[in-house]
Amino acid sequence: MKLKQLLIAVGTLAAVSFSQSAIASEGNGAALKHAEIDVTDQAQIRRGLTVFTDVCMGCHSATYITYKGLMDYPEIGLTREEVDELRGDHAITEGIRTELSPEDAASSYGKVPPDLSLIVAARRGGANYIYSLLTGFENDPDGKIPEGNYNKYFPGHRIAMPDPLAWLDHEPEDTAQLEKDAHDVSAFLAFIGDPHQNERRVIGCWVMGFLLLLTLVLWRLKVEVWKDVKKH
Amino acid sequence: MLNTIMKTKLFGWVDRRTGAADIIKSQLTEYPAPKNLNYMWNFGSLALLVLVLQILTGVFLAMYYKPSAEFTYISYTVAFDSVERIMRDVNFGWLIRYMHAVGASAFFVVVYMHIGRGLYYGSYKEPRELLWIIGVVILLIMQGAAFFGYLLPWGQMSFWGATVITNLFGALPVIGESLQEILRGGFAVGDPTLNRFFSLHYLFPLLLVAIVGGHIHALHVVHSNNPEGIDLTKDEEKIMFHPYYTVKDAFGVAVFLLFYCYFVFFNPQAWGYFIEVDNYVPANNLSTPAHIAPVWYLTPWYTILRSFESKLLGVVMMGASLAILFALPFLDRSKVRSARYRPVFKWMVILFFVDVVILGYCGHSAPTPTLKLIGQITTAYYFAFFILLLVVPKFEEKFLKPVPEGI
Repeated sequence: MKLKQLLIAVGTLAAVSFSQSAIASEGNGAALKHAEIDVTDQAQIRRGLTVFTDVCMGCHSATYITYKGLMDYPEIGLTREEVDELRGDHAITEGIRTELSPEDAASSYGKVPPDLSLIVAARRGGANYIYSLLTGFENDPDGKIPEGNYNKYFPGHRIAMPDPLAWLDHEPEDTAQLEKDAHDVSAFLAFIGDPHQNERRVIGCWVMGFLLLLTLVLWRLKVEVWKDVKKH
Repeated sequence: MLNTIMKTKLFGWVDRRTGAADIIKSQLTEYPAPKNLNYMWNFGSLALLVLVLQILTGVFLAMYYKPSAEFTYISYTVAFDSVERIMRDVNFGWLIRYMHAVGASAFFVVVYMHIGRGLYYGSYKEPRELLWIIGVVILLIMQGAAFFGYLLPWGQMSFWGATVITNLFGALPVIGESLQEILRGGFAVGDPTLNRFFSLHYLFPLLLVAIVGGHIHALHVVHSNNPEGIDLTKDEEKIMFHPYYTVKDAFGVAVFLLFYCYFVFFNPQAWGYFIEVDNYVPANNLSTPAHIAPVWYLTPWYTILRSFESKLLGVVMMGASLAILFALPFLDRSKVRSARYRPVFKWMVILFFVDVVILGYCGHSAPTPTLKLIGQITTAYYFAFFILLLVVPKFEEKFLKPVPEGI
């Protein structure tokens, strides 16, 4: 009987979470593309940082990542010289912020570009969504939304951000490079959303290992203590 | 080990002044418990463990958290900012915060299992009615504490969740509007709301500790129910709580920690169930999220609320759905406790569990006409379950299985 109950419960939960994740991965009708990212890969995160400072930072900030953080997080690990070159006159404790003022952004694009510190955590689909979005600029099949403002993956399809990687109408031979840039910057954004995530997973493995042992020991102890209790 | 400690001179000194030895004997080493409790009886001690974890992690979070909706950077508020500082700059702040956030959901998982066990095996029946009622009070305070806590990160879901829920109180006649203003500390959710919710989020767990003390005291007066649901009269049917159940509970704790730590270290957002995606977006009173839903543990009641066209009726029925739990011991007058010997009740209660899961699913999802209908049907069954219990004991008599004399 207990087994049956358990099966019902597990079955229902599985159905619920499956349908939920199906909804989550759908994005906005279009299934998201899979982003090939590795948040432990220093080379990829550094390439992503370059894409971020060269392209994204024209409009977006990542307030919670400081210039000092670019040195201190081993996943980025820039040298003091590299950071000094990047920051110019900015204090080393400042977050990496765009020069574009919110007022100018609002008058040029109609809205203030969001801070990207937490963007991967703040969007359904996470890094997959960011990657899909960057490589999702197309011409509106209905011809209503102006060129450059139509994105297959954006909710409602009309996006204020103008095609940052110039994906629209790019030459076929550039596809690989653009996809690489999109992957790299997705990896960078996924990393900065939770910069202690690699440390967390490493510690987590030790914790789980310890707990498995503890569980085993306590299970044997329980069996030992209970062996004189007669079954009814 | 406990015996060795109790023989020391120091313990003797303490004992002569506090009667500690008598307490240990009456509550642990000579406290009799049924020997046939199954693993469903582990969730009470787990709930106590999570309560302690929540309080400890919460105390440390409060050392760094700042309850203010004032702005620091462009689009970041002091409260949101302080949470990110905890996540990024405080040593192991990420661990404390994820333990607290995952702990909130873990608390409800173990408490819902605990309540489900009580329902299935008839632990609310005579002589444990008050024990059950104190438990329902604990559930309500927990839900309050969770609701207050969810506002604190001051993300979009914090803000709009609090807006929707405080709005409900406005639907009540006469006192509604002023009650809503008192809760919010103004006409809309804002800085004063955040401050008072922080204060209440600290107060409610203290209430919980006191009432949990009462719950355990009440338990130790009437003693544990058991899967057979019968009164145990013979000594050989019982074993001492210590060491038998202390070691079994310890094993349960280890298994629980395996699941808990998996989420803390590898999946703290739990696919958006424990920390919702929209809560990583700072609160913005000018932009409503596409879909506002409470965290999973409140969604069954949210569905009941949404199942009624009239807002007032929805609020009343949501309140009733919780209040009816208080009445359960008096609705179900069957002399047989355990569902094992009540086949009709057994299927009713299993259906009830499934029903609550579906209610939760409907409350979590964006509303569609189909889901609304499913929500209304499951809401109807939620109440029907309790109302039917008035007549089921009489109806089910000829189906009852023979209850054993002992174990």
